[in-house]
Amino acid sequence: MSKERELLDRLLSSEVKGELLLLFHRNPGMIDTMENVARRIGREAKTIETDMRDLVDLGLVKTRHIGRFEVFALDRARDKELQDTIANYIRSLKRG
Amino acid sequence: MTRIRSGISELDKMLRGGFMEGDAVMVAGGAGTGKTVLALQYLVSGATQFGEGGVYVTFEQLPDQIYRDARNFGWNLRKMEDENRLRVVCTSPSLLLEADGLEQVLDEPIREINARRIVVDSLNHLEMLVPEGELRKEAYRLLMYFKTKGLSSVVTWEASQVGGQGFTVTETGLGFLVDCIILLRFVEIESSIRKALTILKMRGSDHDRQLREFEITSQGVKVVAPFTQYEGILTGSPRRMAEYRFAEAFAEAAKKKRGK
Repeated sequence: MSKERELLDRLLSSEVKGELLLLFHRNPGMIDTMENVARRIGREAKTIETDMRDLVDLGLVKTRHIGRFEVFALDRARDKELQDTIANYIRSLKRG
Repeated sequence: MTRIRSGISELDKMLRGGFMEGDAVMVAGGAGTGKTVLALQYLVSGATQFGEGGVYVTFEQLPDQIYRDARNFGWNLRKMEDENRLRVVCTSPSLLLEADGLEQVLDEPIREINARRIVVDSLNHLEMLVPEGELRKEAYRLLMYFKTKGLSSVVTWEASQVGGQGFTVTETGLGFLVDCIILLRFVEIESSIRKALTILKMRGSDHDRQLREFEITSQGVKVVAPFTQYEGILTGSPRRMAEYRFAEAFAEAAKKKRGK
């Protein structure tokens, strides 16, 4: 399996991850705690944690600490990079 | 003194050219009076007409909704973000209240676009999180951070409008912290709801003191004419001024006479 395909599968591996991707894409300037991000998609922190950590692991979401809070935000540059990778992959499928 | 133009020409005339550079401006009014539209227009005008980048800080409303609403006025905020003329930041007020919260959340977007303007919509969200009596202190810290960064700020404040009177702008002590207060409110005149705007305060500058009607048009806020024919508008019980009542009665009588 190609790297691109693996990436795509990973990004679309769960409903929650899809919701998080949509939320961050539509609101690229959002910077918030796990609890508040969860609330913004009508969920609880514990139900999004695994998927959020995976997005952090992929480099799509960056994290840092503000006082006693851990906050999450979209990494716009990495997001652009991943979008280009996926777009190229889809184009190659169409060609192939 | 350099003036920061709002982009709303009649309002700028009322402000004798615009807001004073670096000032903190409060736009206060009840829900639905147009505070967000006015604040957005201030940023959009800065970015598109005056080459001044702006940051919009929202707490409750997601940017997605703000992008959509702005499109109704012909403002493409996403495009302005792509062109590094605007940033829309969505966060929780609790983060800004942390010791280095302001720097951690806002330094980057301000630096990225070399922002000259900033809007916080709204300060009421801050109020919900701070202990009673602390709001003034936290608002002061916020406004001083903006001034230190050389930003001209607009903060919105949802003031309750009970009956004709009773605005809570000054009850919280916030009125003393800001340099300029613009009050927006609904007024009932002859059984229709209209919108009124007035400048309550402008530190260090002369300003228009009339209560003016404004409208939300497809291009944003448009300030129209002063309510010259009415008195007692701020009390909630406006009435036609005697001279206009007399003129009306005179015209009516003349009409009747002509009809005879």
